[in-house]
Amino acid sequence: MAATATRVPPPSVVRGGRSSARRVARMAQLLVLSVFGLVMVAPLAFALYVSMLDRADYLSLVPPSRLTLDNYRFVWENAPVGRWYLNTILVTALVVGGAVVVNTLAGYALARFRFRGRQLVFLAVVAILMVPLQAYLIPLYLQVVDLGWLNTILALTVPFIVNPLLIFLMRQSFSTLPKELDEAAAVDGAGRFYTFLRIGVPLTLTGVATQAILAGTWTWNSFMIPVTMTTEPEKFVLTVGLNSLQAQNYVLPTVQMAGVVLLTIPVVLMFVVFQRFIVPSLASTGIKG
Amino acid sequence: MLTPAIVLLAWWFVTPIVQSVVLSFQQVSKFRFDERTFVGLQNYSELFADDAFRRSLGITATFVLFVVPAQTVLAILVAATLQGVARGRTLFRTVFFVPYMTSTVAITTIFMQLFVKGGPVSSTLARFGTPDVTWYADTGMALIFLVIVYVYMFVGLYIVIFVGGMESIPASLYEAATMDGAGVVRRFWHVTLPGLRPYAVFVVVAGVIQAIQVFDQAYVISGGTVLGSPAGATSTIVVFIYQQAFRLNAIGYGSAATVVLLATVIIAGVISRRIAPKEA
Repeated sequence: MAATATRVPPPSVVRGGRSSARRVARMAQLLVLSVFGLVMVAPLAFALYVSMLDRADYLSLVPPSRLTLDNYRFVWENAPVGRWYLNTILVTALVVGGAVVVNTLAGYALARFRFRGRQLVFLAVVAILMVPLQAYLIPLYLQVVDLGWLNTILALTVPFIVNPLLIFLMRQSFSTLPKELDEAAAVDGAGRFYTFLRIGVPLTLTGVATQAILAGTWTWNSFMIPVTMTTEPEKFVLTVGLNSLQAQNYVLPTVQMAGVVLLTIPVVLMFVVFQRFIVPSLASTGIKG
Repeated sequence: MLTPAIVLLAWWFVTPIVQSVVLSFQQVSKFRFDERTFVGLQNYSELFADDAFRRSLGITATFVLFVVPAQTVLAILVAATLQGVARGRTLFRTVFFVPYMTSTVAITTIFMQLFVKGGPVSSTLARFGTPDVTWYADTGMALIFLVIVYVYMFVGLYIVIFVGGMESIPASLYEAATMDGAGVVRRFWHVTLPGLRPYAVFVVVAGVIQAIQVFDQAYVISGGTVLGSPAGATSTIVVFIYQQAFRLNAIGYGSAATVVLLATVIIAGVISRRIAPKEA
């Protein structure tokens, strides 16, 4: 897939047809895309706009001078948003850090080492890949309760460090590296771990980064797990906190949208910065998964 | 090097998955979760006699039947329109993809304001004949509301997959078709669509498996009240499971429903292996 991504077949530039007709077709094409793009952006733009409105101006168009940050101030002062931010950042950082180490190691071992049961482990990883979280949420919860992890950060991190899809992704990345590299390192007397760290990892940095971004986005946005595992407001992550605001009818719509923006901004910014390689890698894991 | 992964997989994946199946044959005390008695297939026989469960299967099936064709067709059409656009390509792709990267809670909260009675979208649509109601609180409209939120979030992912698929179709096929006098529509029909077949199979199967599991959106619109509200109209299978296990403390009963879900997903996966061409 990566190799084909470079050149795009340009069917509408293909010879034949007069140039004015082609120009009209191109305009129509861009128009349709723009309209669809606007539809996709509109809800997010709506949230941003409403979050800066005074409650009296809700759903009306106002000049930029009337926009205000009061809703952000309100939500910051009346809900433990700072605390939720810290929790979310901490959980995300721990899962990403752990995931990068554990899944990269496992992917490398599965791609490179020959050992008994390798095929079995790989099959198990692929099989688990197909099982949705929803299908074992109940025993997962019971396990967390047994360990006394309810309302702790452990419940939101430890179970989610290892990830079959990410192991699979890393195995695929390492499989593309030529074996000769390892052999050359072995001839030079490098140990397995040294070879992994000094040769394997630097050459699959894109895979590692993709993994970090995927794990980060999933964790940041995850809702079902934290809403099940945390019941005390000061233990909430942002998604759960925002939902608790949303569920209180007396919270103004303008304030709710300020919460939405606070939750969304970091991920959207990260995505826009890194999208050049997030999008293709996501699409290809999708096909292969 | 494999040890940490194996330990964590066994601890947090294999054990709970097996446990799910075990629990489905047990009656678990509602007050002490370690008091369990083996009851055989009793949970299952009760489950299939339970109107609420059968209704949740129907709601999930309806949801999937709306979501999957809608997002697949929309994604193919948008991806085909994007074909051949060189400048602005990255921008469009980013814009289409952003909702997928955004939190479900955030998106659902936004859409609830757009579709509240008198809200910007609901009141606009009402001029074209839809009932002017709060969509997510109306038993007739709530599931459609979920479909809209869901398709909005996922269509970008599938657009990107189809764009990737179209890049794999050789340009020479298009040139040949044009030589033969095929217009835009016929090129789409006879070159693009057949070339996309493996991708379409994947998108449909992955789409079904994803859509069966819908939960977050339904949880958020219930606003902390009874899950599946209004009046059970959005009680999909996962919502049903969650309600049983975490609201009514019916652990064994909920687990039996879980196994049904698991079986459905696995069957969908196996069928896909059968019908998918090798390239997929």
